[in-house]
Amino acid sequence: MLSCKQVATVASQYLDKDVSTPLKWQIRWHLMMCANCRRFMRHLRITQTVTRMTPLTQTPVDSEKIWEELQQKIKQESRQE
Amino acid sequence: MAHSTTMDENVLIAQLITGDDKAFRWLISQYQSLLLNIARTIVGDVFADEVVQESWVSVYKNIASFERRSSLKTWLLTIVSNQAKARLRKESRTVSLEQLDGETPGSYLDSTHFKQDGHWQNPIPHWDNESPEALLEEKQLQHCIAKTLMLLPPAQKTAFILRDMEQQSFEDICTILDVSAANVRVLVHRARLTLMQMIDRYQETGSC
Repeated sequence: MLSCKQVATVASQYLDKDVSTPLKWQIRWHLMMCANCRRFMRHLRITQTVTRMTPLTQTPVDSEKIWEELQQKIKQESRQE
Repeated sequence: MAHSTTMDENVLIAQLITGDDKAFRWLISQYQSLLLNIARTIVGDVFADEVVQESWVSVYKNIASFERRSSLKTWLLTIVSNQAKARLRKESRTVSLEQLDGETPGSYLDSTHFKQDGHWQNPIPHWDNESPEALLEEKQLQHCIAKTLMLLPPAQKTAFILRDMEQQSFEDICTILDVSAANVRVLVHRARLTLMQMIDRYQETGSC
């Protein structure tokens, strides 16, 4: 039987449905027997759902400034050519 | 704003090809942060801004020949990745992503969390709130997630953003970051575990 450490190591792959069929059944078997790993897996799934839907607070992008600098660079490059 | 995030990509591409500067500025506002993240991960802080600017120049010049075999987003990610890798070669630095991101001490996979036989040393912490919908309502938690994400090691952060937030395929992430599929999986898993541990703390104390 898989150990808890082995289950914890492949937990993301299991949630991403990215494990072989034999491994998937070994993990399921372990989860049936182990309440700690069931909780671990459940919390990982919740973490994934919540973070996926959290809007990223990023520093605002000054697209006007970037666009102006970009125009200058393009002009510069075409002059050099 | 004339465009929304869900606007038809074909319309946007057509506008970009005609040199519509509004469309281009919209594209910059949508992707500048993501491109900067990727450039920083590959080439580091010092050259990232320049690499992104070079990437925009390349997008501007080559949009007409974009063949639409991938989405526009994936095409942008590939361009910045190639520019960053070219820059890395030019600066002849050999910092690999794996070297940048070591194992986090005290993380869930740390061997101190397991007994000799591989079973958990201590019970997994109980969460009072296991409802994603209810958790999403909590402003403080959102703040904690954003903060934790910003503090992740660069490769973990970018792999996580590309996979879980931008929903890119593992194959595309491998190409963009130039790491093996196995390493992308490890990076994403470590990032998720760090976020999960932060939620452990949040559930217990109400702060991160």
